[in-house]
Amino acid sequence: MIVRTLREYRRALVGWAVGISAFLAMYVGVYASIRESPETYSQAAVAKYPGALRDLMGGLEDFTTGTGYLQSVVYQLFVPMMFVFAALTVANRAIAQPEEAGTLELTVTLPVDRRRLVLDRFAGLVLGLLAAAAVTFLVTYGVAQTIEMGVPFDRLLAAHTGVLLLALFFGTVALAVGAAVGRRAPASAVVGGWAVAGYVVVTIGRNVDAIAWLKWVSPWHYYLEGKPLSTGWPWGDYLVLAAATAVLLLTAVLSFDRRDVGV
Amino acid sequence: MSAMTAVVQAEGLTKYYGRRRGLEDLTLEIQPGEVFGYLGPNGAGKTTTIRLLLDVIRPTRGLVRVLGEDTRTPAVRNRIGYLPGELALEGREKAREYLEFLAKVRGGVPAARIDGLAERLDADLGVPMRKLSKGNKQKIGLIQAFMHEPEFLILDEPTSGLDPLVQQEFLAMVREVRASGRTVLMSSHVLAEVEHVSDRVGIVRGGRLVAVENVAALREKAVRRVELHFDAPVPREAFEGLPGVRDLRIEGASLRCTIDGRPDALVKAAAKFTVVHMVSAEPDLEEIFLTYYSEAS
Ligand SMILES: Nc1ncnc2c1ncn2[C@@H]1O[C@H](COP(=O)(O)OP(=O)(O)OP(=O)(O)O)[C@@H](O)[C@H]1O
Ligand SMILES: [Mg+2]
Repeated sequence: MIVRTLREYRRALVGWAVGISAFLAMYVGVYASIRESPETYSQAAVAKYPGALRDLMGGLEDFTTGTGYLQSVVYQLFVPMMFVFAALTVANRAIAQPEEAGTLELTVTLPVDRRRLVLDRFAGLVLGLLAAAAVTFLVTYGVAQTIEMGVPFDRLLAAHTGVLLLALFFGTVALAVGAAVGRRAPASAVVGGWAVAGYVVVTIGRNVDAIAWLKWVSPWHYYLEGKPLSTGWPWGDYLVLAAATAVLLLTAVLSFDRRDVGV
Repeated sequence: MSAMTAVVQAEGLTKYYGRRRGLEDLTLEIQPGEVFGYLGPNGAGKTTTIRLLLDVIRPTRGLVRVLGEDTRTPAVRNRIGYLPGELALEGREKAREYLEFLAKVRGGVPAARIDGLAERLDADLGVPMRKLSKGNKQKIGLIQAFMHEPEFLILDEPTSGLDPLVQQEFLAMVREVRASGRTVLMSSHVLAEVEHVSDRVGIVRGGRLVAVENVAALREKAVRRVELHFDAPVPREAFEGLPGVRDLRIEGASLRCTIDGRPDALVKAAAKFTVVHMVSAEPDLEEIFLTYYSEAS
């Protein structure tokens, strides 16, 4: 069942992995020219992104150093967001999409426990995202090495692991909503809404007292806070993400086991 | 498990979709070795019943056991072959690969059996599934239902989309299943599709099982149309009031009527004249069936 799940995910995964890799190669590569003329670029950036918008981009501090550049341009928003949407697309293929297409009916009449089915689908999601993360990590590391960016292997690995955990969390959100209601639209809405609002809360919202506390329910907080590129593995934060994912998985298993399929 | 454990045991089985009624208070037993035809018009509750038997949906009330087991037990589904009423086969995957996957999950099926079934039904397994026509998808559905030689076949509108030749082949497959002592539940809108292979038929309407009939008994009750042609005009009085004769119409030298039960009285009355030609249609079970339909409404 896991093998088949991976097959079903394959096209979406390969597409996203290639896309994200290309993005990474390009953006990391651009750093070479930024390093050549740091003043021009940092001023241009400050001019281009004033005030709140700069907050939204994560501050854009010091992006002329290798670490700073990776943090603010690559790992701040674009790559994790792309990974989140990759996870959403893949997770929607677990239950919601086959249920809408009507193919899930025959699957649940196989001699396989419903709980097992959800777990296998989740395992496929983990393995698929892991593969995509591994490929994109190697691309990033490769390009960073080539242009001598000076970012240590384990720091980069820590940052990339954060991306994986964040994507897995949102993927599991989609899986859980799909398992509960069997439709893609609500799953996409929940993930899209939570991901975007969560990001805004930890960036712009940081300075707004009224909503600052909301960061605790934003997965982005646990992803961004630890600054793994400059300080190494933020174990505590990552553990929170992993634990939240486990809880979501449990709700997915329980809700799918209880309900009618295809109604 | 004793040999006499009913294959299907439903008691007060009820399913509501929210406030919509799907099935109300179904009590039914299907015995091993039986072919049960499950008949009813659109929206009657056939698919609802079948999905309940397979644990795709859960009952609102009532009890249901299949092959002596709780329907929630995953292992019991390995002893069932299921053809969904709304079969969906999609994707780039070839039919053969999908069948191999299903076979593997069900504990393995010899490749030769899949090929044999494909040949009988004239199914092409090398085509991506989304490119198959409706009837050809149905064939794939039938192959996967039959291939692991399950004890109990549940077929929701199995003949829909099949051409007459393939329908005949399918009915032959059902007869073989019955001959080997296994059990079949198949749904349909029309009795004609199932009457030649079914031992019993159940008629469901508006979510309620309104009749369960033995097909042989149904045939006995069946109305027969008879036409007699004589060498000269016959008097109406000679045939009026004969037991079992209804809808009598005499036009010159020909007589038309329907017969309820035995044709004996009519034959004896006709013997007084010279009969040149006689036509007696197959008992029309459909007609009885339709009277159930109209009675219940
Ligand atoms: N998912 C659903 N949500 C709400 N109502 C439903 C659902 N599925 C079926 N029903 C209702 O339950 C009743 C029985 O439907 P069912 O599909 O069992 O009929 P059927 O006998 O299989 O009909 P058909 O011959 O058209 O396949 C119908 O009134 C239908 O509208
Ligand atoms: Mg139906």
